[in-house]
Amino acid sequence: MTATAPLFSESYRPAFAGFVANRREPDAIARLRREAFDRFQTLGWPTRQQEAWRLTDLSALQSITFQQPADALIDASALPTLEGPTHRLVFVNGRFAPGLSRLPKLPDGALITSLGQALTTHLERIEPYLDRLPGLERHSFAALNTAFWEDGAFVHLPRGTMVEEPIHLVFYAAGSDVTVHPRLLLALEGDAQATVVVEYRGQGRYLNAPLAELALGMGAVLHYHQIQEEAPQAFHLGAIRARQDRDSDMNLHLISVGGQLARADLAVLLDGEGASCAINGLTLARDQQYGDYHVRIEHARPHGTSEQRFKSVLDGKARSAFDGMIHVRPGAQKTDARQTSRNLLLSKQAQAHSNPRLEILADDVKCGHGSTTGFLDPDAEFYLRARGIPATQARALLVHAFANDNLNQIRLTPLRERLARLLAARLALDLAEGK
Amino acid sequence: MLEIRNLHVTVEDREILKGIDLIIRPGETHAIMGPNGSGKSTLANVIAGREGYTVTEGEIRFDGKNLLDMDPETRACEGLFLAFQYPVEIPGVANLYFLKAAVNAVRKYRGEPPVDAMDFWDLVHERMELVKMDESMLKRSVNEGFSGGEKKRNEVFQMAVLQPRFAVLDETDSGLDIDALKVVADGVNALRNPERGFLVITHYQRLLDYIVPDHVHVLVNGKIARSGGKELALELEAQGYALYNEEPGRARRAAA
Ligand SMILES: Nc1ncnc2c1ncn2[C@@H]1O[C@H](COP(=O)(O)OP(=O)(O)OP(=O)(O)O)[C@@H](O)[C@H]1O
Ligand SMILES: [Mg+2]
Repeated sequence: MTATAPLFSESYRPAFAGFVANRREPDAIARLRREAFDRFQTLGWPTRQQEAWRLTDLSALQSITFQQPADALIDASALPTLEGPTHRLVFVNGRFAPGLSRLPKLPDGALITSLGQALTTHLERIEPYLDRLPGLERHSFAALNTAFWEDGAFVHLPRGTMVEEPIHLVFYAAGSDVTVHPRLLLALEGDAQATVVVEYRGQGRYLNAPLAELALGMGAVLHYHQIQEEAPQAFHLGAIRARQDRDSDMNLHLISVGGQLARADLAVLLDGEGASCAINGLTLARDQQYGDYHVRIEHARPHGTSEQRFKSVLDGKARSAFDGMIHVRPGAQKTDARQTSRNLLLSKQAQAHSNPRLEILADDVKCGHGSTTGFLDPDAEFYLRARGIPATQARALLVHAFANDNLNQIRLTPLRERLARLLAARLALDLAEGK
Repeated sequence: MLEIRNLHVTVEDREILKGIDLIIRPGETHAIMGPNGSGKSTLANVIAGREGYTVTEGEIRFDGKNLLDMDPETRACEGLFLAFQYPVEIPGVANLYFLKAAVNAVRKYRGEPPVDAMDFWDLVHERMELVKMDESMLKRSVNEGFSGGEKKRNEVFQMAVLQPRFAVLDETDSGLDIDALKVVADGVNALRNPERGFLVITHYQRLLDYIVPDHVHVLVNGKIARSGGKELALELEAQGYALYNEEPGRARRAAA
């Protein structure tokens, strides 16, 4: 295979020139785009010679030319919903769709809006955060996103603001050989609290390369859910970067089921004493699907806690990769950082790669990681069957048992129940087709 | 109801059962005793349909049907039950949920609708009392973190809820103190009736004081070396298996 893809990177140059020429936006934003594009030019397209991309095969992407998408008309019934009152923003091909969105009354000062619109109305609230959070400096797609994002969601909660209803952000992509770069910017000032559900869906063969930036002020609490259910032929190359201030609490729930290739890179900086971060990841993959998480948690201050629990269930020839780095800076004493990666293989051709890593530069910390990969326990399967439970149901029960504690950590009941149904439907299908 | 004829079984090319003949009629309780490694669990597993055992000769019929043609779940739905020597822990599957799935699987097989929630709850409660099981065990994952005794009790509890027509109990008495042993025996005795059959595998005569068998068989080295009435168990208790066994070490361990 080709070591680099200069053609692909080159083809971005005229695209970028055309893209910025048509945009009328503040100089500060235009400058961010240019800097990001320069960064991308330097970084280039990732290759498998780079350690971080060793397992991610992007060759299927290189063979096609991705264009900026045209507008698409979407039937509202294709979009996921959450029961109960929500603040809902829908983006189709990266552009805000006000007709499909719904925003009930917000607490004073709170802002939930299209990022594109907010550039003209609330630039002063965007500037302190947009592209200002550390992390993913060497990530080509994060750079591309900053260069090319058209629109996205902006949530800004001033000090002490609580938004009770879930903030539901739906990104739908439609088209063939198109690329979308949605942007999410969530900034919670001190003691603010929010529950956010981000959903990625679509139809066709496209590349979705979103970048989410999460800033948590002192004592802020964020429950962030990301449901990746891209179209079967689609590619998802997402990134999340987060910075947490003192005593803030961030819970990330990352569910990945769609796309032929899905990867998310996460960089979390615990930048205040006593900050805590929990990441709960579940990947379901089958056929030829590939699912990948690259996580870097950086403990910069004392008394921080982080817990990562990643699981994957792989059928057919599916593959998953997990690369998790816990980095504890000198001085980040009393850090408590844990990480597990557990993989369940439902077929002999499925493969899971785990690469847990620790870099600990402080001496008074508790850090642990563990990784397991295995097949369903044949003794457990026989035990269930010996009680009359048919083989396929027995297997489904065991897979469900494996994945369920991840789902149970989701406290948002309508979402948890929807995901449980999704899991059950996938299992019924996979296991009925199988053996 | 259970007819085993000339059963030969190999595991990984080693012959473990070397021609077993055993007929159990409705209402009968048979006990199988024998030293470690003589093939008792192998027989139980072959009856239940576990993979990894090759029947090279012979047959097993259950109510005239060829049992060896059925997969394990069909055998269970036909009314067969195995209380495991080593019950399996299944993290993440709640005991109660598992039981209900089992009950409904059997009902579906019989063409019956799923069990009514209230009826099921009543049945579960009644049977829990029978084996003196704590209600908290229903919510816990199947056998996970259960003590040895709790696991065995859970097996008898499942049997009491599923009400099979024929049950094999593989060393359900091992590791139980005398009170727990009585509870297990009471559970079994409560189910005994003229239609049900039991095959009780044990090392100890002790259990047979409480579950009094109609027939006792001594399994040695893959063959039934001797069959008799309940008094045979007492004789074995006194003499061990030395008479039957070429390896005295095993006999001592078994009789200990
Ligand atoms: N799955 C297996 N794989 C390999 N060997 C096996 C297997 N199952 C049984 N065996 C062997 O078959 C023989 C009989 O074992 P089995 O478990 O039937 O004995 P047992 O009479 O139940 O003994 P115990 O009293 O210790 O429970 C033993 O030598 C055992 O090692
Ligand atoms: Mg045994």
